[in-house]
Amino acid sequence: MTSSNSSWSFVFVTHLKRDFLINFRSLIDLVSIISFMFLIIILFILGVGPFKEKLEIIGNAIIWVGLILSIIPSLEKTLQKDFENGWFDQLATSSIPLEIVLLSRSISYWLIVMIPFLFAAPLFIILLNIELKAVPWLLLTMTIGSLAISLIGLNGASLILGAKRGNILLPILIIPLVIPILIFGVGVNEAIKMEADPISNLLLLVAFTLIYLVISPFISALLIRIAIAR
Amino acid sequence: MLQLDSVSINRGNSVIFSNLKATLNTPGLNLIRGKNGSGKTTLLRTIAGFIPIESGKVIYNRKDITFRKNEWVKKIIYVDSHNGLSEDLTVFENLEAWLNMKGWSSSKQKVTEALKSLDMDKYSNIYISKCSEGLKKRAALVRLYFSYIFEVKFWLLDEPSNGLDQASILLFKKMITNFLQQNGTIILTTHDKNLFNEKHNVINLDLLKELRAK
Repeated sequence: MTSSNSSWSFVFVTHLKRDFLINFRSLIDLVSIISFMFLIIILFILGVGPFKEKLEIIGNAIIWVGLILSIIPSLEKTLQKDFENGWFDQLATSSIPLEIVLLSRSISYWLIVMIPFLFAAPLFIILLNIELKAVPWLLLTMTIGSLAISLIGLNGASLILGAKRGNILLPILIIPLVIPILIFGVGVNEAIKMEADPISNLLLLVAFTLIYLVISPFISALLIRIAIAR
Repeated sequence: MLQLDSVSINRGNSVIFSNLKATLNTPGLNLIRGKNGSGKTTLLRTIAGFIPIESGKVIYNRKDITFRKNEWVKKIIYVDSHNGLSEDLTVFENLEAWLNMKGWSSSKQKVTEALKSLDMDKYSNIYISKCSEGLKKRAALVRLYFSYIFEVKFWLLDEPSNGLDQASILLFKKMITNFLQQNGTIILTTHDKNLFNEKHNVINLDLLKELRAK
């Protein structure tokens, strides 16, 4: 049986399926994200020295910086592979908007990063001596924040498509844009630690993420169209 | 009729074409010829709608395709040297993903039939990373089978016979003959002068550039 089904939801779901298959088959990339994050945290712990109090003060910041830095190296590959193998040319022959495809790509990338992170989170929480009452908030903010980082990251990855030294450019492009996410994400966790109200920071974090969710697929689609036209 | 009406394309500061005029047979077989670097692939990508035109128009059925991109892309299948295949997916999964990307869904049986058209059914569960260049090309060309089902009118092919063995070329030629019999239009670039016996229209880019220079 054959049928034409050009509904956006159909394309969204089928692209998610494709991205999941590809990413879970290159398990080494997933493992490298978590291993890299683990190493960053270990480096901080060793750098701070045997002072539990110091670690308690900067623990939230370390875990956030670790997440941001570990996501960036894998971002380049997510689009570069499909650009080099000609998949984006094929996408340009689809009547489905490229924006829908890129939204699906951001969501799949986010889930692929977040699922292993959530599994590894207990280890990071123990290592950084984070209080138990702060854990649900930390996981919530990092889940929201990582969506924003994935969306911004995909914009950066689209911009460097075909560039020769893209891997060097990518962190320079992305890091300034994720600063608001870092500030409000850490802000929520710090408020919890000080027993203050975290809602205002949380709402700002959600607001930034929603803004990126709306504009990011359009920016990526525009950049990819330019890359295809080169 | 598909017409290139005074098409100019620039890339950065270099001019690839300026005021290119040509008429392509629709339906029919059209070969784009020219030396290396003459702009064959660029022209094919322009017709596909990937490359913005600096000035001029690509007209199909008296309408400029630039302004009807959504309608136009439904009518075409594009295959080039990059193939558009993911190394981490099998031949079957790649074909299925491509169908879904086009907004088409098809039963496993139909996908298997398509793979049989280029004798690829026995490789259906092989990862693209394990395929030779010839097999990759065949895995990409298998998409053409779906033209008959989803009313595709145009095949845009960039050096489609590269990497194919003699047996695959024969199967591919058979697909071409069938498509032409069903009033399809094929626009392809090739260096192989002996590839086709069918009547065809040639767009010789070197000749067109020389004429314009005079």
